[in-house]
Amino acid sequence: MADEVLFDFLHMELVSYIHHSCVKEDNVKDTSIAKLESTGFRVGQSLIERFTKDSARFKDELDTMKFICKEFWNAIYKKQVDNLRTNHQGVYVLQDNKFKFLTQISNGKQFMESAPKYLAFPCGLLRGALSNLGVNCIVTAEVSAMPACKFQIQIQRS
Amino acid sequence: MTIYNFYIFDRNGVCLYYVEWNRRKQSGMSSEEEFKLMYGMIFSIKSFVNRISPTDVKEGFMTYKTSKYRLHFFETLSGLKFIMNTDLNVGNIRDILQQIYSTIYVEYVIKNPIIELDKPITSELFKTKLDDYMKGLPFFPAKVS
Amino acid sequence: MSRQAARGTDIRKVNGELFTLTYGALVSQLMKDYENDEEVNKQLEKMGYNIGVRLIEDFLARANIGRCNDFRETADIISKVAFKMYLGITPVISNWSPSGDEFSLLIENNPLIDFVELPDGHNALNYSNLLTGVLKGALEMVQMDVDVRFVQDQLKGDNLTELRLKFVKRLEDAIPAGED
Repeated sequence: MADEVLFDFLHMELVSYIHHSCVKEDNVKDTSIAKLESTGFRVGQSLIERFTKDSARFKDELDTMKFICKEFWNAIYKKQVDNLRTNHQGVYVLQDNKFKFLTQISNGKQFMESAPKYLAFPCGLLRGALSNLGVNCIVTAEVSAMPACKFQIQIQRS
Repeated sequence: MTIYNFYIFDRNGVCLYYVEWNRRKQSGMSSEEEFKLMYGMIFSIKSFVNRISPTDVKEGFMTYKTSKYRLHFFETLSGLKFIMNTDLNVGNIRDILQQIYSTIYVEYVIKNPIIELDKPITSELFKTKLDDYMKGLPFFPAKVS
Repeated sequence: MSRQAARGTDIRKVNGELFTLTYGALVSQLMKDYENDEEVNKQLEKMGYNIGVRLIEDFLARANIGRCNDFRETADIISKVAFKMYLGITPVISNWSPSGDEFSLLIENNPLIDFVELPDGHNALNYSNLLTGVLKGALEMVQMDVDVRFVQDQLKGDNLTELRLKFVKRLEDAIPAGED
């Protein structure tokens, strides 16, 4: 119902607000990134609940990852993940060559120092989604040249 | 057919962007002075054109030409002003200026959270996209003399 | 295949839900950060304003509209074009003041409040206050100073959500130095 551009602008404001609200903390950057990540986590959990209401459970971890790379990514970022790699030992790397939150910012290295704060919420979103699909993990993102971005998922076995 | 140069001003007269491709003569004043002159002149022309109009005003000021060049003007409802100088072989390019606004400015300035809207545009991505767009226009010369 | 079709519907809605869920998370965060509801309302309006000054450009780029001749035309455009484009709803325009400078937008299905319940003790919270800022900021960029406030809220038990818009004054372009 809501046009996708509304989320884009809301996300911008969210990042800006969280940064301003953390200004009194010792480590502004890390605190605000952590806050954004945990907000994304809660949203990711709720989102996946509604999304996969009718779907059957996935047969294994890899199947879950494929769902994330295809249907989930498509629904949120309007395209699929370009490349999925794994070491078959609990580490997955998702590569998106034109990550939606970066395509309007830069075509290379300009504004690189600001990229992490726009990747915090997406990392949390991914971690939250996986968590509700039964996969506990840590998600980090890495950018070497925009708009390409790599999300690294490290499965936490309890 | 040639495009000489291009300006973008915001509603407060700040020159957000300027680029020239084939400008053969400089104005003899600093960029800052030139931007102020351009903005002030456009402001006055707009007002004059509307006041002196013998009929209902619709779009208002759009273009002027001399024996050597033509100035094209497009203003959004939000007060953003796009000004392009071309040679006389170029006709009405209002829709082109509108496209620059809606597909380049809105995409790469408005949707870039890092850019402050009331300051000159520093985004290289914007610059590249604009350049590519201009070079793709039929009236952009293939070879710059 | 029926499961495919069900997925298809879900996929289209996911983006809209991303917005409303993120909005909900934002309001929760603000409620943690600020002691009282009035402060949260103010923050939401401020953030809405910042969104509005950008959203207006996206709107102007996509909607082919000319300058409004009066406030009634503005009301039409807000309801039938803007709300439709961004929230998929068309609020009813009503309750015009006699001088034509004030009107209400009546909203029956506010997408922001899907699945939302106001927690106890927060009756002063205007959950959807982002909208007041968005409208104010957007209209300011097209030279209108408009007051926007909620007068009814379904989350507070009212039948409808009602936004009231009041035209304050026209904003003129800044005159460049030496040109008056």
